[in-house]
Amino acid sequence: MALPLSAGLTPTEVAFLCEMEMVTVIPRQRLESISLLSGPTPALRPPHRSPLPLWLALLLKRQRRANILPPPWLLPLSLERILKYETETSPETFSPPPPHPHPISARPSPSDSVSPPFLPSSTADAPAGYLPYHWLELGEILLEACPDDIPDSGRVRGLLRDLREVRMAKMRGSVSAVEGGGVMSLKGVGAMEVAEGRGFIVGVMDGLRKLGSSREVARREREEEGGAGGGDDEDEDMGFE
Amino acid sequence: MATTTQMRVRGRPAHTIGPTYLSYTPDGTKLVTVGSNNLFRVYKTGFDGEPTNIDDCPEQNMGVDSTNDFFVTGSEDGTVSKYSLESMSFDNFLMRCSLPIRDVSISRDGKWCAVASDELVVKIVRTNDTSSVMYLREQLKPVKHISFDPSSNYIALSCTDGLVYFYSLTGDEPELVHKVDGLIRTVETDEEISSRVAWHPDGRAFAAPTATRDIQVMSRGDWEKQRAFTGGHMGDITALAWSPNGAMLASAGKDRKIILWETKTQKILTTYDYADVMDIAWHPTKNLLSFTNSNGEVYIYNDFVPGDHAHLVKLGSQPAPFVHDPLSEISANARKPTVNGHKDVPHRGARRGSPDSLDDILGSEIMGDEDDFVVDDDGAGYALVNANGKRPNGDTDPFDGPLTKRRNQTWEPQYHESFQPGSTPWRGNRKYLCLNLIGFVWTVDQDTHNTVTVEFYDHEFHRDFHFTDTFLYDKACLNDNGTLFSCPANKDTPATIFYRPHETWTTRADWRTQLPKGEDITAISLNESFITVTTTANYVRVYTLFGIPYRVYRQKSSPTVTCASWRDYVLTLGNGPVGADGNTKLLCTILNIKRDEVCQNEDLVALPDGETVKSVFFSDNGDPCIYDSTGTLLTLLHWRTPSQATWIPLLDTKLLSRLASGRKTESYFPIAVADGKFHCIILKGGDQYPYFPRPLLSEFDFQIPLTLNPRPDSGDDEDDEPANEGDELKKLEGDFVLKSLLTAQHQDLIDSTKSSHSQRSALARMELEIDKTLLQMMAVECREGEERGMRALEMVTLMRDRSGKMIEAAGKVAERYGRAVLGEKIREVGEEKLLGVMDED
Repeated sequence: MALPLSAGLTPTEVAFLCEMEMVTVIPRQRLESISLLSGPTPALRPPHRSPLPLWLALLLKRQRRANILPPPWLLPLSLERILKYETETSPETFSPPPPHPHPISARPSPSDSVSPPFLPSSTADAPAGYLPYHWLELGEILLEACPDDIPDSGRVRGLLRDLREVRMAKMRGSVSAVEGGGVMSLKGVGAMEVAEGRGFIVGVMDGLRKLGSSREVARREREEEGGAGGGDDEDEDMGFE
Repeated sequence: MATTTQMRVRGRPAHTIGPTYLSYTPDGTKLVTVGSNNLFRVYKTGFDGEPTNIDDCPEQNMGVDSTNDFFVTGSEDGTVSKYSLESMSFDNFLMRCSLPIRDVSISRDGKWCAVASDELVVKIVRTNDTSSVMYLREQLKPVKHISFDPSSNYIALSCTDGLVYFYSLTGDEPELVHKVDGLIRTVETDEEISSRVAWHPDGRAFAAPTATRDIQVMSRGDWEKQRAFTGGHMGDITALAWSPNGAMLASAGKDRKIILWETKTQKILTTYDYADVMDIAWHPTKNLLSFTNSNGEVYIYNDFVPGDHAHLVKLGSQPAPFVHDPLSEISANARKPTVNGHKDVPHRGARRGSPDSLDDILGSEIMGDEDDFVVDDDGAGYALVNANGKRPNGDTDPFDGPLTKRRNQTWEPQYHESFQPGSTPWRGNRKYLCLNLIGFVWTVDQDTHNTVTVEFYDHEFHRDFHFTDTFLYDKACLNDNGTLFSCPANKDTPATIFYRPHETWTTRADWRTQLPKGEDITAISLNESFITVTTTANYVRVYTLFGIPYRVYRQKSSPTVTCASWRDYVLTLGNGPVGADGNTKLLCTILNIKRDEVCQNEDLVALPDGETVKSVFFSDNGDPCIYDSTGTLLTLLHWRTPSQATWIPLLDTKLLSRLASGRKTESYFPIAVADGKFHCIILKGGDQYPYFPRPLLSEFDFQIPLTLNPRPDSGDDEDDEPANEGDELKKLEGDFVLKSLLTAQHQDLIDSTKSSHSQRSALARMELEIDKTLLQMMAVECREGEERGMRALEMVTLMRDRSGKMIEAAGKVAERYGRAVLGEKIREVGEEKLLGVMDED
């Protein structure tokens, strides 16, 4: 490929996608409904809360026309609970993602395949105690744009940092599981973590594969010497290098 | 007697140079002092000779506290020892610590002794059983001072990290109730500067020296700063003590002064110059104060309170200096409450003896103490006599007056208190006058005046404003057009209402009107066209927006409770006849002012026994709503037709799914009903009213209490499938009832007003919504099975649609699920309905 970018999304792209998440705002001014590609926004009337896409909410916040209501999972109490889950209750796996807001029943329904950022996982009605898919980017964006709206934002910042470190350590630790041929469950991993971890994990996997392939080649050669035939996999392996 | 002519009291050399502490026994007969040498001294009150000495004791004692029978000392060598006052000798060690003891304190009943040392843990040991110990462990640094509150239910620890920790001792285990930051300064345990919390004798408040050398009073109920004793000391405060009745406060500072303050006015009564005072103790009854200094001297100061203020010593218990005393706050109820305690009893001094009384003739030698057979040896107070030869009622609480009086009378009905919807009572020096969806109004008490601030949610439409308020407004209403204030009557000004429009095209639009003398305001309300005022004289006064008196009438039910208004309708609540539970029944009257029509005449407000209304307001669609003390939001249906009104519950906040886990305890302060949602402020931690900073508004959907709430998802996926079906049906049923109710209210609105086209089409839409909900319910029933067919058919009969389209759709649903019999019956119902409609036509 001509582009120097590696596969997957860059952090800016992830953050861009995250801005399509819905958040709840408390307007400070009236604003009539705007027709957007994603549909009309609700008319804003203070102090009634309304859901808006994050990018619009940030725009209004910057113009001091609205306050953003932090999602319940971004409150210190909820983050502490998640951190406790990550470190004590289940030090091996990631904390689970929020339950799907549309009940998934036996019958298939169109709402089943809806995924972030089209799920209302960061509005004021979202459940506390679960990290949604875009948790890291959303948390960072909100902390940067509206620290005055988040209660105890200093603690929140610290907790987010803690969570990030704990989960990155798990992500890196998962490589050792990969080495043994196992696959670690990535349930509950956020978008930014996938984007960040991709480079490292793919690199390690690639390195392992190379090491493994050279050993494999050596084994095959020994076998060939022994008289057995077959070695068409080799060419395929070499093709990647 | 001026301070200059006073004889300077000479210090008695009691101990060697070093910190010295003292304590009066509760009966006041003895004064125990401890110091840096290995000697305790016990002074007898009223006896000027040598004190009794106790030798067998440690050196460097850092604290002492006493009961009538024994006293406890703590020493730097880490021992806490108990000494008997009877035998004047060592009894036993209560405790040993590895680090120096800093303070000891005995609870009022003498059963527990709290010990603070340089260790992190504060221990509370039983005085007669050293094996039972309670530990207070929450503080992160050593504790300098400890003090029990007068009821011994709480203990305050002044910690060296600058925080005051309050523990509750009522349960089995001591429990940290509150931490107060920013009250005391950080002081090391061995410094002379004090950070002691001194409980006011009435137990509702405490005082503590601050970093600014003032003494701040704080209430225990809401941990709010109350009055402060300021501007007295030029140096750090080293000792602090309330007089036993709470009428005065004595404090000593590094500026070589002892200051005597009056509690009520926070003024300095007098100042004495004594240096290095370390500890102050009042005599429990006499005008006598003793103090020690760091030179080991003890001063026993008779007539400490100068003559012109000496009567303060003799007063009964005095209330703590609150900014707005919650108990003395008189509600605007018409009936004046019985006078609290001894507040208004004038001081008359000792009565002169009646001529030729037996006492005078025989003299005190014969009638006096010598042959008095009752000896008050346990301090219970039955042998205490005051100047009139009567037993004082010192034990009575200053605020239990009305209660005891009530008990004496045979019976008295309980009234519903009057209130202003959307306002909060004073807390500290702040109070919200009005909280609604437009904005909020609050006031701050600045002693001589208030400052009122009005803030809006919509910053574009209105501009926030604030003003200095010399009238002391205590009620307010806010809407899009203006702000209405009212102030209570006081000595020279009658009750006044003040209206200030937000926008004006003349130079002056605000107006003020005064009520007749003796009439006070119980509640005010403001809407687009009228101002309504209910008063203690049971009048309802209606003004136009520019102050023209429009109507005055007397409310039938009295005393009035509150009022609310919407367009031309005025709703008033009043106390009616007494119900079976001893409470008056709350009656509600709704009047159309403009058309002069009575909509509801003294209709009962449906309340459970013993409950009352917290707030009353009109929703944005103009339906009356009440929020009662059980946490239920109710709305009134068919209120425009006389005696047709029914109260329908819209939301029971106790059944909210957020509370289902049982871990949270919270209550809700109602704000408004708008957009089909209940707007409120969530109050956590047992708060009753919102406080500063202004909390965010929350909104809840209506949820008519119908069935047991579905449990919040516990995460187990196996149960989800069957539960979901039931939940879905329950949710639809709830929707159906709620939509029917809202449609009925909308129908009423359209029938009684000149309805617009959009309103009528909204009604048609709402009816369609009901049918859609029924159709969804029917689909669920059909899916569930053939045997639920009767239920499904019933749903079809409930449909409102007259065109037959909905019934046709229902038939299709039945067909899709292959319920042929049901489909047949639905078609029959449809035909019948169509025929029926034609018959009616």
